Amino acid sequence: MTQPIPWLDGPLWPYLALLLFAVLPTEIWRWLAVIFSRRIDADSPALDWVRAVATALLAGIVAKLIVTPPGALAAVPLPLRIAALAVTLGIMLFDRRRVMLAVLAGEATLIGGAWWLLPG
Amino acid sequence: MMNPPPDRDWKRVALAGMRDALSLPAWVVGFGLIGVGSLASDVGYPVEVAVLSTMLVWAGPSQVIFFASIAAGAAWSAIAIAVGFASLRFLPMTVAILPLLRRPGQGIWVQLLLAHYVAVTSWTEGLRRLPDVPPQQRVAYFLGFANTCMATSSIGTFLGYYLIGALPIPFAAGLMCLTPIFFLASLSAGLRHRGDAAAIVLGLALAPICDRFIGGGFDLIVAGLIAGSVAFALRPRKRARPEQS
Repeated sequence: MTQPIPWLDGPLWPYLALLLFAVLPTEIWRWLAVIFSRRIDADSPALDWVRAVATALLAGIVAKLIVTPPGALAAVPLPLRIAALAVTLGIMLFDRRRVMLAVLAGEATLIGGAWWLLPG
Repeated sequence: MMNPPPDRDWKRVALAGMRDALSLPAWVVGFGLIGVGSLASDVGYPVEVAVLSTMLVWAGPSQVIFFASIAAGAAWSAIAIAVGFASLRFLPMTVAILPLLRRPGQGIWVQLLLAHYVAVTSWTEGLRRLPDVPPQQRVAYFLGFANTCMATSSIGTFLGYYLIGALPIPFAAGLMCLTPIFFLASLSAGLRHRGDAAAIVLGLALAPICDRFIGGGFDLIVAGLIAGSVAFALRPRKRARPEQS
């Protein structure tokens, strides 16, 4: 457990910590984007690049959550986690409108597999 | 085309956004944030802080890093930096979606409000759906869509705070995995050309490699910059001259 900063500690500390160390470092990028976006042309190659980087970052988060997963997901073996993603991706590549089916099939793979593999 | 009174029109458009959100995405983000609620209860923070984190941070990965790092005993500065890097993607994402939402005469406060709702789901779904919405209706549509996602997510966080410990591991793991599975499905649904496909494939491949070799929370942004730049180089040219095609 990270302990509260002593001179700021008190009953409101969890709220203060949330604002300082989670809300601020997240929201700052959205604010900066509003300031910068006024100077960027919607059709510019710069925006294409920015969109490509953002897409890659999201794909990167997917990979990180699968390879180094949080909480209960870590109890599921890596090949099964990858299999669940592969099922989802396979369905999406087959028909891009089947978002719901792809999500449910990936989930069914993971939960079903975990049910079989994990003791208890 | 018949023009209904602007007031009714605004509500009708917002309701359309709400309906589209409830068609699937709002439920998925709501389920995805159950895990955040359970992490928050794990570190002994009040349920109000868990739900507020969903409304004010509005970024699943940032919230996961925040609560999981506290549980792991990380320094506050390290937590802020890790959250900042995890959220850096909102800069390009917001820059990319604002042109779709911007209207002549729109104040900076409206844009700051709209930017707050930028997160993975509202961004991927917004980029996919907003071009089909008439420009003067997009703000209402987007706010209807995003606020619905935020409402279901707040409920999910609240439930997760009390619920997840009671679930058997396969189902808890399934809830944790809903986020990456839905992110990937949304990304593939928005595929337009080989540049997008390259960004997804390279991002998936590079992130774990960078995670291994680059420390200090910089790994994700390095992977994203490399993969995104390569994908950008591979994209088809927009204004190719007709005789070349």
